[in-house]
Amino acid sequence: MQRDPAFALLGLYESALPEVYGYLLSRCGNTTLAEELTSETFLGAVRACRKTGSPPVSVPWLIGVARHKLVDHWRRREREERNLRLVKQDEPEAVDPWEDEIDAIQARDTLARLGPHHRAALTLRYLDGLAVRDVAHLLDRTVHATEALLVRAKAAFRREHDQKEGSE
Amino acid sequence: MTDPFDALRTTARAVDPDPDFAATLREQLQRAVLNGGEMPTTEAPARAAVGALTPYLAVTDARRAIDFYVEVFGATRRDDPIVMDDGRVGHAEVAIGDSVLMLAEPFPEIGNVVAPEGGAVMRVAVSDVDAAMAKGVELGAELVRPAEDGGYGKHGMIKDPYGQRWLVAQAEPSEAGETPVPHGEAGYFTFQVPEAEPAKAFYGAVLGWRFKPGFVEGGWGIEGHGLEGGLWGGPGRQVGFKVMFAVDDLESALARVTEQGGQAGEVEDMPYGLSADCTDNQGIEFWLWQQPAE
Repeated sequence: MQRDPAFALLGLYESALPEVYGYLLSRCGNTTLAEELTSETFLGAVRACRKTGSPPVSVPWLIGVARHKLVDHWRRREREERNLRLVKQDEPEAVDPWEDEIDAIQARDTLARLGPHHRAALTLRYLDGLAVRDVAHLLDRTVHATEALLVRAKAAFRREHDQKEGSE
Repeated sequence: MTDPFDALRTTARAVDPDPDFAATLREQLQRAVLNGGEMPTTEAPARAAVGALTPYLAVTDARRAIDFYVEVFGATRRDDPIVMDDGRVGHAEVAIGDSVLMLAEPFPEIGNVVAPEGGAVMRVAVSDVDAAMAKGVELGAELVRPAEDGGYGKHGMIKDPYGQRWLVAQAEPSEAGETPVPHGEAGYFTFQVPEAEPAKAFYGAVLGWRFKPGFVEGGWGIEGHGLEGGLWGGPGRQVGFKVMFAVDDLESALARVTEQGGQAGEVEDMPYGLSADCTDNQGIEFWLWQQPAE
């Protein structure tokens, strides 16, 4: 008889919890939301780890589950904020090379003010350091569409960033 | 070439969450693992909504009854109870899973009293029938019938200390996920108005709509039942409802738009699927939307 992999999840809980929570908190910057997504991650992992072909339960695997939950969250937000789609059509497609150094703390702030689709793309690509094709896979887009989205997201980031600087 | 955005790279640092949260989640996780892993409907609630049929109970002590439903059935409180001048609770609501339960304390003057015996039975689906019934009895409920599976799923009955009988039944595992919108049906709307505030006041008063702030200037999410939508105030847009219709195949639908004298917009790849901004043969704007394949 095979051992239920979900028991390994229970065994890992104490040590994995701060890792998963820390990952989510640093990406969404809001304790309530981080707690919500942490719950979704662990409870969702129970089912996911029992699927045939699922890799052994580990902290990196749980972070992967958490990343999916984060993407699902942004997707829900995107659905709620569909009005944004009209605004986005005004966005320039091209972005000038930007030589400034980005201050990480201020960047986090800027990121939090972006729409969920831009925030998702930039977080996965740059905070998590994923390759474009992995970002594309997580966001259910083609590589080409993801590249275009990243260009628009960076332009939006830069506008938001400059606007903030200007107002101070 | 270096990308200035690489400076954003953040290695996640472990952070200890709130201990109460950690304990609650551990308990939920244990239950989920021991239950065979299917997320029961009551613990992965769709957004609770007032459905076609809503129980409205008369209970002897609304505050305690709510605590009981929270503890035993995993209910969540909705707004604060309405307390009358004489201290009686005139109205309170909780959500259990995707359903709403309304309750009030007895008002004999209008015939709302707790049935001395019998009365209606509430059937409630829970993830763990035994645990819920044991918890109920621990909190003072009377065990009417122990849980057993007579071939229609495991269930049992308790009577809570506030006068209600509950048929406690095993929840069916649910596959989470949104049901796709069928071809030709509306999936979303934007209500475009010259100014947001007068529209909010008007539709709030006439239809009871509630609004939550949107993320664009003049944009508001409409909270209510039915079609998901948003209100968008401001000049320069076609006034009225701009609806997003679901189609099975966007490319062929766009070809039909053009064929019929409309204007088909560019296909855009959005996180929620492909969409295109279109205009019909009389100049009315709408969107077409192809949902992502599951």
